[in-house]
Amino acid sequence: MFSTLLEQVINGIVTGSVYAIVAVGMTMIFGVLRAINFAHGEYYMLGTFGAWFAIDFLGLSYELSIVVAILATMVVAYVVGQLVMRRMVGAPAESGVLATLGIALILQNSIIFTFGGGYKFFAGGYIEPVEILGFSLAQQRILILVVCLLVFVGLELMVTYSRLGKAMRAVSQNVECCGVVGIDVSSVVLKTFVLGAALAALSGVLTAPVNVTVYGGMGEIITFKTLPIIIMGGLGNVRGTFFAAMILGIAESLVATYVGLQYRDTVGFATLILMLMWRPYGLFSTQARF
Amino acid sequence: MTQTLTRRMLCISTALLSLAATLPFAANASAADIKLGLVAPMSGPNARYGAFSMHGAEMAVNAINEAGGINGMKIELFNADSQGTPVEGVSATRRLIDQDGVDFIIGDVSSSVTLAMQPVAEDAEVLLLNAASSNPKITYQAGVGGFKWTFRNYPTDENRALIVAKYAAEQRGFTKFAVLSVDSDYGRSAINFTKKYLPEFKGEILSEDYYKEGEVDFRSVLAKIRDNGAQAIIMYGLADTTPIIARQMLELGLAGKVTLIGNGEFNTEKTIKSAPKALEGAVEAAAWLPQFDSPASKAFVEKFTATYKEAPNNHAYVHWDTVNLLAQAIKEAGSADRTKVRDALSKIKYTSPVGEVTFDDHNQARLPMILLQIENGVPSIKGAFTADIEYPAPGK
Repeated sequence: MFSTLLEQVINGIVTGSVYAIVAVGMTMIFGVLRAINFAHGEYYMLGTFGAWFAIDFLGLSYELSIVVAILATMVVAYVVGQLVMRRMVGAPAESGVLATLGIALILQNSIIFTFGGGYKFFAGGYIEPVEILGFSLAQQRILILVVCLLVFVGLELMVTYSRLGKAMRAVSQNVECCGVVGIDVSSVVLKTFVLGAALAALSGVLTAPVNVTVYGGMGEIITFKTLPIIIMGGLGNVRGTFFAAMILGIAESLVATYVGLQYRDTVGFATLILMLMWRPYGLFSTQARF
Repeated sequence: MTQTLTRRMLCISTALLSLAATLPFAANASAADIKLGLVAPMSGPNARYGAFSMHGAEMAVNAINEAGGINGMKIELFNADSQGTPVEGVSATRRLIDQDGVDFIIGDVSSSVTLAMQPVAEDAEVLLLNAASSNPKITYQAGVGGFKWTFRNYPTDENRALIVAKYAAEQRGFTKFAVLSVDSDYGRSAINFTKKYLPEFKGEILSEDYYKEGEVDFRSVLAKIRDNGAQAIIMYGLADTTPIIARQMLELGLAGKVTLIGNGEFNTEKTIKSAPKALEGAVEAAAWLPQFDSPASKAFVEKFTATYKEAPNNHAYVHWDTVNLLAQAIKEAGSADRTKVRDALSKIKYTSPVGEVTFDDHNQARLPMILLQIENGVPSIKGAFTADIEYPAPGK
């Protein structure tokens, strides 16, 4: 009984790690732009497709495919950032919603148009199971967990100490004052956006081996899972996102075990509704920021 | 000046518009003699099914046209994307009827979509010939059950559930089952019928879970199944999800201990390759599979593989077969008149590659289900079984 519970918590943490890496990019983009990036799941999808393409068409190894996938996604994100995201600084919230939803449609359908709408089979990765604490887990899942921790430690350090990190925090606090003291807001926005997209792609490539199938519409589910997480974590809050993702991952896993798999997807939004009633500014913010 | 230009532009654009509006009608008048619509999921999670369906139908249409058509009439095929959802399926059906002016529609793969299309076809008095949906309700409510324009050339879940439950209990000796099926009209109804027949074979269901399309994480459910001691997982699922589940069974150490039974393309090379150990011994009931031993079936596989560079699946076959069935009905009716074709269909004796096809008073084809088991990594056919359907009394 206790062992089942522990195993499900571990499953939840692994699922949470995947969500966390995607969500942190989305929350950082929100921090600097004040806009929810509805196309965020599509960068996850692009990452997975990039790796699939690198393995199936270019014959590269899984390790190299990770690099190719992230670079390819960053290029796409750079173009989108230059053309669209930079113009959203100071724009009303609805233009952000429309623009990012539009980009989501374009990215998704370009992929379907190019590679077809069917499922692809992802061949790479470390799928052999290993025993840890008496539980059987694919090596890939351990890799996901480790990478997630590294990403968050890295981001925490970057946001606190690096020049870009400080600039990001400044932009998220007050765009006009940044202009006054000479911070190039639009360049900060672009860099944050490319970084966020790269993280989404990383999450996609890491998950692909255990999810096996790759298809054009796979990003949508990710966007909708990420949305409650970043709101729970307190929009723009990196540390909060990590804990919110873990909570959602574990809650989903427990619901799937003890209630039924069909209720799994309701967990995120049910939690979100409770959150908005109880602490509308997020779990980890001390006060409402907006 | 600007004023006149605008007005002139308005006149020109109005003229163009009205011209454009008449164009489709002009095109319609000059088009082929028999207009056949195909509703299938061309995009979305079931797009692969749609692609196979389209290729199957296309191959049959091309063969018929190349052979001079049906009594000299050529078939023109129109595609419409249902995306596998009822809403899109209905608008695709409307598009085919209103814009393309089709007289016959084959579709959809998904039962939920077909159920939504039935009233639309009925209202327009267009013949809806289903080739790949297995929910029994579709023909419960057809023929004497209500919808006069719906026919189905595909065996139902009821047939399938009975055959699978019987085989699992009698030949494999399973008594403890866990359910893991897709959360749709297909997955849920197959399980309902399994529950109807399972007590006859002293089987019990220990846990019951349904997954949403696009679900990728089955670890929690599989761990539960591992712990509750089920001998087999009853799965009426989606082909594209089967490899994910099989892989995670491998990951959790279920492979080789718990057997998959039901339907969800357990038998394709790609699926078996994804986790050979998890699929060994799996039992599946399918309407058709490429290994089926009949000359006509083998010839179809050969031609399809040569044309599309991949082996056909069940959906390719049933759509190919259904176009041929329709062609014979049109031939026997002596014209492409919808009412005549419908009457011909209800009286038809059509020889398909799996056996002779006739329709009952619910417009349901009497067809066998083929049972197979994965042995040493390849599907081995255990026989073809037919079960007579007991329709519920009207008004229920």
